[in-house]
Amino acid sequence: MIFLLSLGVAVLFGSGAFLILKADLIRVVIGMVLISHSANLFIIAAGLSRGEPPVYPLPDGREISDPLVQAMALTAIVISFGVAALLLSLVYRVYTSHFSLDLDELAEAEEREEAIQELEVFVGRPVRRVPWPEGAAPPRAGAGE
Amino acid sequence: MVRAGRCGEGKTVLNPTIWLLVLAFAAAPVTAVVGGMRPHLAARAGTVMAGLAFGAALWGWLGDPAPVDVAWAPEWGLRFAFELDGLGALYSLLATGIGLTTLVYAGGYAPRHLAHQGRPAAEATRLYGLLLLFMGAMVGLVLAQDLILLFVFWDLTAVVSYLLIGYDRQEAESRSAALMAIVVTGVSAVLLLIGALMLGARYETFAIPEIVAAVGASEGDGYLTGTAALMAVAGLAKSAQVPFHFWLPRAMAAPTPVSAYLHSAAMVAAGVFLLGRLYPILEAGEGVRDGLLVVGLASMGIGGVLALTRDVMKQVLAYSTIGQYGYVVTMLGLGGEAGAAGAAFYVVAHAVAKSALFYTAGAVSEATGETRLAHLGGLRRDLPLLGVGSALAAASLGALPLTVGFFKDELLFHAALERGAVFAGLAAVGAALTVAYVWRFWAGIFLGPRRAATEWLPRSLVLPVVVLGVLGVLGGFVVWPVADLASEAASATILATVPVDPAYHLDPRAENLLALAAFALGAGIVVSRRWWERFALDLSRAGERFGPARGYASLLVGLNGLSDGVHRIEVRDLRARVASVLVPCALLVGAAVLAAPTFGEFRAGSVEWDDLPLILVLLVGCGAAVATAFAGDHLTMALVVSGVGYSLAVFYVFYGAPNVALVAVLIETIFTLLFLGMLVLLPPRVAEFAASRRVEGVRRGRRDPLIGVVAGLFAFVVAWGTLSRPSPAESVASAQIALTPDAHARDVVTAILADFRGLDTMGEATVIAVALIGIASLLRRGDLVALQSREAPQEGRPPVTTVMTQTVARLLFAPTLVVAAAIMVKGYADTGDGFSAGVIAALGVLLQYVAFGHAEVERRLPVHRALYLAIAGMGIALLTTFLPAVFGRPLLTHWPPAGDEALRIGSLELITAVVFDVGVFCIVFGFAVGAIDVIAHGQRAFRRAAV
Repeated sequence: MIFLLSLGVAVLFGSGAFLILKADLIRVVIGMVLISHSANLFIIAAGLSRGEPPVYPLPDGREISDPLVQAMALTAIVISFGVAALLLSLVYRVYTSHFSLDLDELAEAEEREEAIQELEVFVGRPVRRVPWPEGAAPPRAGAGE
Repeated sequence: MVRAGRCGEGKTVLNPTIWLLVLAFAAAPVTAVVGGMRPHLAARAGTVMAGLAFGAALWGWLGDPAPVDVAWAPEWGLRFAFELDGLGALYSLLATGIGLTTLVYAGGYAPRHLAHQGRPAAEATRLYGLLLLFMGAMVGLVLAQDLILLFVFWDLTAVVSYLLIGYDRQEAESRSAALMAIVVTGVSAVLLLIGALMLGARYETFAIPEIVAAVGASEGDGYLTGTAALMAVAGLAKSAQVPFHFWLPRAMAAPTPVSAYLHSAAMVAAGVFLLGRLYPILEAGEGVRDGLLVVGLASMGIGGVLALTRDVMKQVLAYSTIGQYGYVVTMLGLGGEAGAAGAAFYVVAHAVAKSALFYTAGAVSEATGETRLAHLGGLRRDLPLLGVGSALAAASLGALPLTVGFFKDELLFHAALERGAVFAGLAAVGAALTVAYVWRFWAGIFLGPRRAATEWLPRSLVLPVVVLGVLGVLGGFVVWPVADLASEAASATILATVPVDPAYHLDPRAENLLALAAFALGAGIVVSRRWWERFALDLSRAGERFGPARGYASLLVGLNGLSDGVHRIEVRDLRARVASVLVPCALLVGAAVLAAPTFGEFRAGSVEWDDLPLILVLLVGCGAAVATAFAGDHLTMALVVSGVGYSLAVFYVFYGAPNVALVAVLIETIFTLLFLGMLVLLPPRVAEFAASRRVEGVRRGRRDPLIGVVAGLFAFVVAWGTLSRPSPAESVASAQIALTPDAHARDVVTAILADFRGLDTMGEATVIAVALIGIASLLRRGDLVALQSREAPQEGRPPVTTVMTQTVARLLFAPTLVVAAAIMVKGYADTGDGFSAGVIAALGVLLQYVAFGHAEVERRLPVHRALYLAIAGMGIALLTTFLPAVFGRPLLTHWPPAGDEALRIGSLELITAVVFDVGVFCIVFGFAVGAIDVIAHGQRAFRRAAV
């Protein structure tokens, strides 16, 4: 069982690591979620004993599951949810500012922003930005209120 | 009048040391407060405070100060140790005395300066406050008897000097000058810290007297030499000595009061103060004193010659300061009684004269609008009082007889003669250069034909010059106060009684002859300007071309380039950055696994028939994870990733962890809904991108699967290695299981969360609250509408909910909350706790969103208060955590204590652990609702933009 549990942890972690390396920010977030799952599974599997739920009245003569790792896993699950929600809103925020979730496009946008800032220092006044990247669909006329 | 003994401990009210520290540090805040309320009174308040601090310093010098010694971080041997010894008295009198005149001067200067630049007059308060803050830092520095404390004040002076030099922050020149000053003095401050830590490591104390005594008792070696050299470099950079001198002329971009204070009496004086304070350590370092001698002489020469070539008044004075502190460093390098005494005396005499000359330069450019000597001249008739005052100061700096300056040169010659005739000759040349540039400065302004018109000057710009000039002449007749100060300071420097007794001797002794030679040579330099001018200008040009300033510039360019390069690498490829974090981590952990004593003891573990459901569920979970990794679009991904979560939840059920399973199911549901909700917000373009080949990234080949496999293998080895370790016979868990009935609980997990390890839960709940604040500030309501209207999605979708759904949702809402409450309150008796209750209640609210839409929910429920709910929950949890501490109990001690019967209402037990759980519930509920609300709000704004 130990072997199988380790294998489970490994598959979850490997899939997560694979997703984190994608150019799509949403996949990166999901990769983080998978890695959290892998960690939670690992915490639970690290329990010293396995058996009945640790709730009184305790069954006689049968082994009780380790309650300490359960408490840890429980908070870990809630925290990974908090982190995932924060990441999602970060991703969404990035989208609302750059209209893209493509890491390559975002890198280009950042480099462009740097160039603009240097230009601003040079000319000594703010420069107007065009808010969507080259090649992206322009906003439709009249879409804004 | 050398202070022999110290008065008894325990004096506080009548201890001048305390008063000096308090007044010096209160000066800046008091001035800032007064200036904030009544800007026109700020200068007066600052002057009064500086005056009080000066009074306290005088009292400390004449009176009987006791040391102050308070524990700071005793386990590291750090103390707040202050003592008003000879060095402290001299430099604190300088810092507060010149500070006082500077405040008077700044009171007249700052309003005019700000008016010239078109800045509001209230900004003057900032200048006064910073000057006084600098004064406080100087006083702290010179009284500190602990190396780390000394470093803290040393760094504080550097930081405040940065703000002061860059006071005219709209000028690029000021900003770069300030940057240069803080880079040079700040980097060298790090050397001081390293030296302090090296000394602390060897002598196991940071107390300066103890270290000095220990150094004195030991033999010098390489370690000590290195330490001494590091600290000496810090002091030399601060005092603007060659080759770190280049920052000082640039710092003249500061307003004149700043230059007058920092660059005559305070900042640059701090450097030689450090050399004086640590002199016994420097002396123990082999060759360090010779190094000081070389640097001092070089600074004397370079400062003196370049001062002759400069045309801008303040530049002349800046190079003069470099040269003058070169004298002081030279004398410390010469060493011995004469050197120490001369150095201390010189600092006082120079500071008084030089600050007066700085004030003169500022007053003249205020009156005429000119800063260059070439455009000035003949002002003796227009500004007679200023002319006389600065003439006295110039005479003192030029060491003419009947001024205090004469004695400074006498002591210099005396110290040089003790070492050898060569040094005496060099000293005389240096003195001659001083005479020459002082004459050039004063005569260039006040003599010759009139070249510029003047306007009226306020008294506060002239008075400090006259006062300091008169003081300089007074010191020429009544020399004992300065001599006493110098004697005490020198005694504190070399730890031996040093008599200083300067007097006029009307006989042909060597000192007098050298002085005469210096005057004659100085006059010769003035007269023969035509012959040497080319050479001096060439030297100056060569310095600019090949000097250390160029090294600094190329260093800055190089650092900028490096930073840009690293940044570009980081920005260009997030994945490379992720890999660059993951790979070293993996290597480190892998090394730790290999080094672990149990490495190699892998166990496969037994598999029984009962485990079959576990294996099947695990198989499903793993399959879903792989499917997630290769999912073609976001929607599929959302569904299969929730499959991973749900199968893990089922796994927890079979594993004997119903609490975890409950939370996992609930969390998975709410996360999936949030995720889907967010996908709706994104336009089809993003979905197209997600389904395309481009997600692999343009710069990446096919290594991602390989990296994924390697990462998985790594996780496998770590997990297997860990799980294979034999379990200890006795675990914490069994004790916790046994204790649970005492905590009035039946569910062990809940008891652990709310009681046994409640502080951990507290910390974890805080993480959630912080994440919610992050989400709320990232997606602030209202901000998004403007952003979203730029790119509209497809046509608005038709409403998907029917009357049936709405009715069910309405019916279900109240029961959900009841279930949540029950799970929370009964969590102690059965599966469930604050976490799961919070998520259940949030699901109830989410259902309302699905059924009725955002607008309706917002109308019916106070969802926008979710953040407050989370903060209130935080408050409840904190209160239950820390309230026991008020009664002297350990944190999170719950009531009723073990064994006591709890209050019951029906089958409900009233215990404080439940209150803690209510706090956790509020945090989780508030978090989930807040996150849902933000996303839903975005959707609504989005739809509106589309219509």
